[in-house]
Amino acid sequence: MAEDLVLDTAIRDWVLIPLSVVMVLIGILRYFVSKLMRSSQVPDPKIVKEGQVILRARNLRAGANFIPAKSFRARRVYFSNEENGLLYVPKGQAQNPQAQMFSDPNMAMDMMKKNLSMIIPQTLTFAWVNFFFSGFVAAKIPFPLTQRFRSMLQNGIDLSTVDVSYVSSRSWYFLNLFGLRGLFSLILGEENATDDTQRMMQMSGFGFDPSKSLGAEKDGLDILQHEWALPKFEQRAETVLRNLVR
Amino acid sequence: MVTKTDETQLNRLENQVDNGGGGAWEYLCLVKKLKVRRPEKVLKHGLSILNDPKKRSSLGPDEWTLYEQVSIAAMDCQCLDVAKDCIKVLQKKFPESKRVGRLEAILLEAKGLWAEAEKAYSGLLEDNPLDQVLHKRRVSIAKAQGDYSGAIDLLNKYLEIFMADHDAWRELAEIYISLQMYKQAAFCYEELILSQPTVPLHHLAYADVLYTLGGLENLQTAKKYYASTIDLTGGKNTRALFGLCLCTSAIAQLTKGRNKEDKEGPELQSLAAAALEKDYKQRAPGKLPLLASALRSLKIS
Repeated sequence: MAEDLVLDTAIRDWVLIPLSVVMVLIGILRYFVSKLMRSSQVPDPKIVKEGQVILRARNLRAGANFIPAKSFRARRVYFSNEENGLLYVPKGQAQNPQAQMFSDPNMAMDMMKKNLSMIIPQTLTFAWVNFFFSGFVAAKIPFPLTQRFRSMLQNGIDLSTVDVSYVSSRSWYFLNLFGLRGLFSLILGEENATDDTQRMMQMSGFGFDPSKSLGAEKDGLDILQHEWALPKFEQRAETVLRNLVR
Repeated sequence: MVTKTDETQLNRLENQVDNGGGGAWEYLCLVKKLKVRRPEKVLKHGLSILNDPKKRSSLGPDEWTLYEQVSIAAMDCQCLDVAKDCIKVLQKKFPESKRVGRLEAILLEAKGLWAEAEKAYSGLLEDNPLDQVLHKRRVSIAKAQGDYSGAIDLLNKYLEIFMADHDAWRELAEIYISLQMYKQAAFCYEELILSQPTVPLHHLAYADVLYTLGGLENLQTAKKYYASTIDLTGGKNTRALFGLCLCTSAIAQLTKGRNKEDKEGPELQSLAAAALEKDYKQRAPGKLPLLASALRSLKIS
């Protein structure tokens, strides 16, 4: 059965290679367009400060045993009291990022720009591939595969009799879309590769909430038992000196 | 942080470059990466690259960062003309750049034109209120003018946002000490110990401040921190050993007549004294009598 299908060389010349070339060119074009549209982001002082507060609170939690109890207690109150503690986030005031996004047009604009440079070329190329090349068997991979790969390699061909090692044109498009990252990092430099898969991950994990990590730090501080480590150091110093003097 | 391997590599490269073995560019890159301060060498070797058109153009876009590095090193060495030339080249290449604007402001500061520099910095800060370097430069201007309370205000304002910046905490602590505001300095050193619990210098400085503050409780705490310094340095720190002796005798003086709770104290002191004696015997035998008399006076009182 598999031997019956002979692929026309014209398919190679007019489908397989153009498709790959177009994908590469679009990737490069998109990189430059997004570079043009990228606005230098001014970080929000509040967010910077929150990051620093978390860092300092974490330091306090890790090194608590190295400072006297009085100093530790003073700091804990400073961080987590319920009036103006740095880590205390009043209930209800915790911003939800969705609302924040709508209230800040700049942020929405940024998101839109990112999406524009990603979604528009993708839909266009997908439509293009669908329109011209739908139903093509564009390539054959030189090794047999199991039935599970059918949905990955033969997207757009609804024939269960075709051997799985044949690749449909639409699947070739998808393979290119996700597989060209290495090539881009070669052409455009290590960090510039437009990585669609990673961006999609970012999109789905967008709901990051800084107030949550503040709350977590606060809880961590609240349950911390302070046990001053310094008295132990006196004994350790004694042994060190004993060894030294001897 | 500069690790030991970094340091040996740096010294090796420095040696090689100094003796004409080449590798100047690698050396400059390493200096920049490790953020160490070697202005004379950077100036000398950086200029040798910049003055050679062939070498310079082979750097490609890195040429401009080299200009920046050399100009800062030149200002550090007070070669203001060199710095000015470098900045002029950068200015020509990047007319609108904030980074070049920052260099120009630093040049003003190096010339001692405080008011102009201050104005330039605040102008730049308006565009980018979160530039840490600019904030620190403003503190340094205040300090250079002898306006310590102004420097403290600026530093406090800076630390309100960047509160995890331990270098700033250390600077603040040192300014407080120079103004004899020991309680505030102690707070800063606590902060430093929290962020870097294994750096013995912070423990030592904290102990010094506590000892200076005085009072039984502070002295006892100071003694503990001297002990931790000894532990962290392996007993190699002479200042900590002396501090321990001083603390113990001061505590003994304060608690004279009262029943002693601190039982292991005298032992630690005698051990520290013995360590001191051994150290002096090895490294400065001529000063042994001096040490002996100092220790004797401590034990008697």
